[in-house]
Amino acid sequence: MALARAVGRAGERAGSGRAGAHPDIPRPDIPRPDAAALSAGAAAALALLWLLVCAPGDAGCHPLTVADLFDRVIRHSGRIHSLSTALYAELEKHFPPRDNELGRPARKCHTSGMLTPNGKEYAQKIPREELTHVILKLLQAWKEPLSHFNQHIEHHQELPDDSLSKAKQISNMVHELKTGVEKVTEKMQSMGIISNSLNGMASSEDTGLSISNEANMMSDSDFIHCFRRDSNKVQSYLKILKCRIMPENSC
Amino acid sequence: MKQRFISSVPIILQLALTTLGLPGQSYPGKPQIIRCRSLEKETFSCWWKPGSDGGLPNNYTLFYSKDSEEKIYECPDYLTSGPNSCYFDKNHTNPWTTYIITVMATNEIGSNSSDPQHVDVTSIVQPDAPVNLSLETNTYANLSYLWAKWSPPPLADASSNSHMYHYELRLKPEEKEEWQTISVGMQTHYEVSSLKAGVKYVVQVRCMLDLGEWSEWSSERSIQIPKERLPPEKPIIIKCRSPEKETFTCWWKPASAGGLLTKHTLLYSKEGEEKVYECPDYKTAGPNSCYFDKKHTSFWTIYNITVRATNEMGSNVSDPHYVDVTYIVQPDPPVNITLELKKSIKRKPYLVLTWSPPPQADVRSGWLTLEYELRLKPEEGEEWETIFVGQQTQCKMFSLNPGKRYIVQIHCKPDHHGLWSEWSPEMYIEIPTDFRVKDMVVWIIVGVLSSLICLIMSWIMIMKGYRMMAFILPPVPGPKIKGIDTHLLETGKSEELLSALGCHGFPPTSDCEELLIEYLEVEDSEDQQLMPSHDTPSKNTKIILKETDSDSGRGSCDSPSLLPVKCRESRSLPSTLQTQDVRAKEKKGGKGSWDTRCAASTSEQKTLPCESKKSCTWLAAQLPSNQAAMFAYHSTVEAFKITLNTTNVNTSPILVGNEESHQSLYPIAETVYDDLEKINEMEYSKTDQTTVQVRQNEHSNKSPFLNPKLMDYVEVHKVRQDEEPTLLLKHKENNEKTKKCTVPGTSKEYTKVSTVVDHHILVLLPDQRSQSTPVSQEPVAETSQNPQQSQAEKNTSYSTTTPSDSRRDTSGSDYMDPSSFMPSFK
Repeated sequence: MALARAVGRAGERAGSGRAGAHPDIPRPDIPRPDAAALSAGAAAALALLWLLVCAPGDAGCHPLTVADLFDRVIRHSGRIHSLSTALYAELEKHFPPRDNELGRPARKCHTSGMLTPNGKEYAQKIPREELTHVILKLLQAWKEPLSHFNQHIEHHQELPDDSLSKAKQISNMVHELKTGVEKVTEKMQSMGIISNSLNGMASSEDTGLSISNEANMMSDSDFIHCFRRDSNKVQSYLKILKCRIMPENSC
Repeated sequence: MKQRFISSVPIILQLALTTLGLPGQSYPGKPQIIRCRSLEKETFSCWWKPGSDGGLPNNYTLFYSKDSEEKIYECPDYLTSGPNSCYFDKNHTNPWTTYIITVMATNEIGSNSSDPQHVDVTSIVQPDAPVNLSLETNTYANLSYLWAKWSPPPLADASSNSHMYHYELRLKPEEKEEWQTISVGMQTHYEVSSLKAGVKYVVQVRCMLDLGEWSEWSSERSIQIPKERLPPEKPIIIKCRSPEKETFTCWWKPASAGGLLTKHTLLYSKEGEEKVYECPDYKTAGPNSCYFDKKHTSFWTIYNITVRATNEMGSNVSDPHYVDVTYIVQPDPPVNITLELKKSIKRKPYLVLTWSPPPQADVRSGWLTLEYELRLKPEEGEEWETIFVGQQTQCKMFSLNPGKRYIVQIHCKPDHHGLWSEWSPEMYIEIPTDFRVKDMVVWIIVGVLSSLICLIMSWIMIMKGYRMMAFILPPVPGPKIKGIDTHLLETGKSEELLSALGCHGFPPTSDCEELLIEYLEVEDSEDQQLMPSHDTPSKNTKIILKETDSDSGRGSCDSPSLLPVKCRESRSLPSTLQTQDVRAKEKKGGKGSWDTRCAASTSEQKTLPCESKKSCTWLAAQLPSNQAAMFAYHSTVEAFKITLNTTNVNTSPILVGNEESHQSLYPIAETVYDDLEKINEMEYSKTDQTTVQVRQNEHSNKSPFLNPKLMDYVEVHKVRQDEEPTLLLKHKENNEKTKKCTVPGTSKEYTKVSTVVDHHILVLLPDQRSQSTPVSQEPVAETSQNPQQSQAEKNTSYSTTTPSDSRRDTSGSDYMDPSSFMPSFK
């Protein structure tokens, strides 16, 4: 069922895919950030779709290595980050901060309470399972607030359609990324790379409700700012995790 | 006597000196009065510049006279104003007088005088600069003032110190160029306000009497305005940067503190925390910076950074700087850049660039991912070519210009966020040329060879001449072409070829008309009953029939494929209108009816095709549309033919000849105004016995089909009634005429009158329209092979002519303008 939804979503995005999305699965040259931001949608969805379809045990396609899966989720998270950067800039343009300061402090993200590694050494020290869990927790924490945010900003008449579609895209991609990370986790667990002792998502989902309430209190640009930061966190953790598990693989 | 002596003395002296070996000694040079100047209007001095001394010690004497008197005085004081000067003291200075001053230089050989100088003392007044300038600063209420004092210029005559000077003061900050000038007045001190603290000022003064010029500026004096004792200005945080995404450093620009000792402190707080920390390390990153080590660096949090500058007067805080370390990562440039030239399989060189990430960046952990961009340009080039290479640490560059020196640089940045590093140091690589040279050699060889081939080709072309032309431009295929003579193409001259092809398209100009020749057919007496009918047209109407274009559509009716049909029909239906040749043959049978008809049609050819519907319809059915004109032509010719018809026997050989050679027809009809009457005369005299002698060129007989040198015309000697008419066949003398008789190997039908000369010689041209000859004539054709045979015993009267008028002959047979008769069938 989830698969079917994913397919539908992918098709929908491919249909409305903007900016001539180039399917860039194994691209030798990395797309420039802005281009990537625009073309992320369809290609990313397709990549994730493939990832989902070609899950382990599926005959007919080559079994994906963990490294491949990691590359995909890392790329996916990178695109989410680019999209959110672009959206943040647009929101800042439309809702200039009241105190007219560019990098205002004191916006408290609803995920700030989470204990996440705030530096390389920390991220390298904590157990893999825990790092994986942190990633999943972060993604989980953003799922609900993002869909709320989507509904919310649709009422903003002054926002361009482009921004709205970006927000929608981000929301979808976070879903997909979470699915992807779960797949990688499953695979790693099945291969014995990490133990099965994930603390379970139950606890984080408990906190998820409360923090999404917190998220609703934020301003739009603060919200995206926070999300952007967390998407960067996710990407960084994924990279660290990959290089910890497979140090030989282009690390 | 004395004069002579005086003048001779220098000469003798000079001679003596030169013999003594002291060259260069001569008169003194002309001295020049530089200036005269009065310091205070009461005395004045004059200075002069000595001229060349002539190699001897000179004495200078200054003479002056006043304009009021004639007397000449010498300078009163040579010493006071220094060397080469004269000082006029008070007693010698009269401000109301103009002095005329001359300086004379004298040496042993002679003397020389300067130009006289007129001096008005009041106009040369310029005092000396003020002296004893001293400066002081004062500060009241945080404002600095400058106090300047000076003395008036000293005078030689100390007693007269009562002059009133005007003073001017100028000042500027030491490092600047522009002066600020202040008019002071009579006083010898001044106070300048509104000065910048901490700046060193330079001051000068000068003075002026109430008339005359300003003195020079006095010597400079400078003074440092003391710095203010103020709290420092705001320091400014320039930037923060993390080189490896693990630590970061912030730099600031210190506040200007007015010379006081100022201390800078960096304070920061992290997002979500109230506590303010001070910079952990001021030293590591150099002055005016703060280094945050790994412990103090957190990611995904915003640092609020401020810098406080403090001195004894107070402190000032910079604007806050917000930093998320994730987004201030700016790596160092890549290192270990190597440039290597490699050769591909095709020996084409390409450049392999490799590099390493900056040593500080820990890319292996996955914490920092770098993307690279390189740029290169030829050394002398202006624009960089930038290539984004992604995360790779090597790049291959193809298609570099050989023989050029390239500059290559690389920089990097973290993916998705952060800033580009500085460009790496310039690397140079020279792309060698030797790869290219080999190619060049090959190309040169190819070029030489091909030009050689071209040369040979063109040489062959020249040798072979027009054969190549025919080769390059082969005859256009198709029925239209059948009439064209390939031999004409091959052997003929270009003009001829052009005429065969070209006149078709020409407009029917008068030039063309000139070239036309009337077509005449000599008819025998049997048909004299027809004469009246076509008497008029042939006589009076100028009918121009131009050469049928052999490749035109019209010509195609002459093609053997079509003609037999026509001819056969003509045989079966003798009454049907046919080509003239056919009809000429078959005139015997029922000629009368259609002859008449066609004669009539001929007469009216310009307006109507023919009178008889029958003949018209026949034509329409028989001939293609473009042959309609042909019909007109034929009929016209026929009409003439009738008038000049010889006996059948006489014409037949010619016709046969025509038939055999598939030759274009050159029937030319031209009205011969006066001569035509003669022709008609001849026609009418059926009873005349004429002998036609046809002499053919032997050469033409040999190869009836291919021989291009056929006889061109027949010379017919006309003998009047009492004489025997003679027909002589003459060959053209040379081939120099453009019109060769192109009919290959045929006997000719001399049916065209080229011209009539001398009122009794008719030049006939061969009828080259062989196609028009019906098949039925074949039996006769054999007889015609021998022109001797064909020379008829029949009685036909011809005018004979000598082939002298070759031009007319030639041109007439060359042309036939179809358009001249085309309209008649429209």
